Amino acid sequence: MKPIFRTIAIAILAGTAALPSYAQTAETNTFPGLDDDAVQQWGGEEGVRNWVESLFYYIMLDNRINHVFREFGNIERQIYLNTQLTQLVLGGAVEYQGASMAAAHADLGITVTQFNAVVEAAYLACERVTVTYEACNQLIAALAPYERVIVTR
Amino acid sequence: MEEAKKNGLRLYKSAALVAAILASNITQAEMFNTGKVLATGGVSMIDGAGGGGITPWATITGYATRDGINGNLHYTYAPLANYTLHSVGAAVGFWDRFELSYTKSSLTTGSTFDTVGLIADTAGGPSGQLAGTPINTGIEPFNTTIDMDIVGAKVRVFGEAIYDSDNLIPQIAIGGFYKKNENEDLLKTLKAAKAKDWEAYISATKIFFPINTLINITARYTAANQTGLVGFGGPGGDDKEIRPEISLAYLLRKDTVIGIEWAKHGDNLEGESVEIGGLNLTELQPTLDSLGMSNLSGTLTQHESDWFDAFIAYFPNKNLSMTFAYAMLGDITITPDQHGFYLSLQASF
Repeated sequence: MKPIFRTIAIAILAGTAALPSYAQTAETNTFPGLDDDAVQQWGGEEGVRNWVESLFYYIMLDNRINHVFREFGNIERQIYLNTQLTQLVLGGAVEYQGASMAAAHADLGITVTQFNAVVEAAYLACERVTVTYEACNQLIAALAPYERVIVTR
Repeated sequence: MEEAKKNGLRLYKSAALVAAILASNITQAEMFNTGKVLATGGVSMIDGAGGGGITPWATITGYATRDGINGNLHYTYAPLANYTLHSVGAAVGFWDRFELSYTKSSLTTGSTFDTVGLIADTAGGPSGQLAGTPINTGIEPFNTTIDMDIVGAKVRVFGEAIYDSDNLIPQIAIGGFYKKNENEDLLKTLKAAKAKDWEAYISATKIFFPINTLINITARYTAANQTGLVGFGGPGGDDKEIRPEISLAYLLRKDTVIGIEWAKHGDNLEGESVEIGGLNLTELQPTLDSLGMSNLSGTLTQHESDWFDAFIAYFPNKNLSMTFAYAMLGDITITPDQHGFYLSLQASF
């Protein structure tokens, strides 16, 4: 039932021509643009990985969102894919092996309140791994437009 | 068998109870919401709307996302050289779509108008030009106060100030205030055309996260003198005009924002004197001269300046924000250099 629903959702989203840029996840074109050395500001791949682990720590402490990630399952893989995704949207030259943001969240019924809860966890994680607020905002800018496809309620 | 039935019934009953409790909790949770990220609800500007210090922004006040409702109480205290502003009010944001606000502003004027009051008393005295005429200037012997009620509403029209970092379309909101100034007599003395009036505004707000900056541009359609504290319009009429306002804010930390603001003000009362008992002060010149107060009409000329402020807003948590500012309000009625500190507190629920 669920995989079928997801397939239908992906098909519908794929048919929505208004969102072509999300079919292929890449560096986000923000206004103004992200710093060229954004990934370096994060301490490279290692720094990003540390942050993602910290992010999941804070997500799991937040009852508004932890069940969503737990139900999705395989946290290790989520951390692995999010490390790729984070580097990618910041402009890093990595391959992202996960699903598009639209496809991954289509049937989760995420609210904007839950999306913001992850943003709050992101800031807490930045503080925990001493990524500066300014560098953290590079990622906030890079991920913010995904609100349009992640939030479906 | 009977026992099992009983147990089953009890189970149903408790299940129904749990469901009812859950349902009521969900309804409550859906109504009340604090889902916005810290600081993104803005603070309360002096008219009570969500925004900066003196300018309403396109953001909807409070911490509610489109999932619910959230409100706040606010208090602003601005001790200036000759005036002290107290502003107390409440505002509610609904589904990150519209907001309603009510604010009571109280401007104590200290000894500012004592001279005018003295002249009125002199002119209205037994030997004065207006002898025998009771003159109501709205000026009390001590601490003349201007009270103003402000009701505000704002609707978010389109755009995303926060999430749409991949385009330049700002969040746009339109709003309005209805302001009722209580000291009509003083406004008459100061030659304002009206004591109550409405004003409308359109605001565009955008946060640029890559450079940690928020920009807000507002156009306010108004005839206000000093936001309405000195009434609306002047001897030249009460026509409204469009006045620009700009806020620039830098996001220093996730809980701290610094910035500057500018609001264009009008010139309805620019260069005007004060009016006592239906007489312009210049017409009272002979009386004043005979009393040895010939230099007074020059010092009783009104001016109005654009407002500027520089602020730092601190958000220790979603229940409280504190804004400290230095406000440069320039000339206010007959007194120049009205600069001073400004403190605004907002408690969110």
